[in-house]
Amino acid sequence: MEQQYNLLSTENIAKVKNLLASMEAGDLEKSQDYFDELAEMRESELYQEIGKLTRELHDSINTFGLDDRLTDIAEDEIPDARQRLAHVITMTDEAANNTLTAVEESMPLCEQVLNATRSVENEWQRFSNRELNINEFKKLSKELKSYFEINSNSAAKINEHLNKVLMAQGFQDLTSQIIKRVISLVEEVEISMVNIIQLAGSRPNKSNKTGNSEKLDGPVVPGLEQSSTVSGQDEVDDLLSSLGF
Amino acid sequence: MAIDKKMKILIVDDFSTMRRIIKNLLRDLGFTNTEEADDGTTALPMLQTGKFDFLVTDWNMPGMQGIDLLKHVRADDKLASMPVLMVTAEQKREQIVEAAQAGVNGYIVKPFTAQTLKEKLDKIFERIEG
Repeated sequence: MEQQYNLLSTENIAKVKNLLASMEAGDLEKSQDYFDELAEMRESELYQEIGKLTRELHDSINTFGLDDRLTDIAEDEIPDARQRLAHVITMTDEAANNTLTAVEESMPLCEQVLNATRSVENEWQRFSNRELNINEFKKLSKELKSYFEINSNSAAKINEHLNKVLMAQGFQDLTSQIIKRVISLVEEVEISMVNIIQLAGSRPNKSNKTGNSEKLDGPVVPGLEQSSTVSGQDEVDDLLSSLGF
Repeated sequence: MAIDKKMKILIVDDFSTMRRIIKNLLRDLGFTNTEEADDGTTALPMLQTGKFDFLVTDWNMPGMQGIDLLKHVRADDKLASMPVLMVTAEQKREQIVEAAQAGVNGYIVKPFTAQTLKEKLDKIFERIEG
């Protein structure tokens, strides 16, 4: 099925002779035809060679058992991981918002309790010192009743909010599980990529990072080394003060 | 001179949760007059209305980033003297230096505490008055 490419075949020599003859005769149309014929022949040889190489590469990848697995990863698992990570964002967003809402709603309740306490505190002190007359005592007694009401209502509501905060923390468990799965997928892809690179005959070049230097790094993840970063607010302050801040 | 707790503060961050956290922390410190924007592109026209006295901004945001917002503020005659506090997860030395050179008044790295926010605000006001 493969043609042995023989440049010096009598057929080729005849074609070249034809080309030369028509060129010398000044026949442009014929010259063009012969020329195209030769070029075409050369091209088809090239395509066959590329086809052969492609087949060999495909066979080699198959031998390594990577092909199907990589197809699965590319077709299903990467989109799946993307969805999972998007879900992590949704969950953390919900948890943060639920917590913040509960805190925001609790703050005025605490304020209410504080204000109510302050308003009865003085009178209570006077009562303890036996300084209150009967009418003042009646008034205090009324105030205390409302104070107890405010306190128990606020405490019940604050407790409700605290429970919401508690429940919102459930995201941590769920998101870690999802992230762990994505990490193991990334590991698998990494191993496959290294195998393919080795198959292709070149070694992964660790130092050859073509990252955009303008790119922002974002939060420093513990254990991931990032060059020339500060390790916290104290170092930021030191650096700024060294700049005259 | 006491700090004017009624000053209007613009909080710029692309994450609404972070904006809420900063807003609540500021309220706890007595600053109740705050507004929010989700990136520099939204923030700049708000600032240009002249209603704001103080800017708290993140760095890494879609649209216009915090560092560019800072540069725009410093380049605008009407806004140039506005105090700007950067609250960001960016911790590279050259970035902190870049922010300082662009004229930032304070730089806080995330995650941060209420105490850090208070200290940096106090320091900024101290310098403004001093």
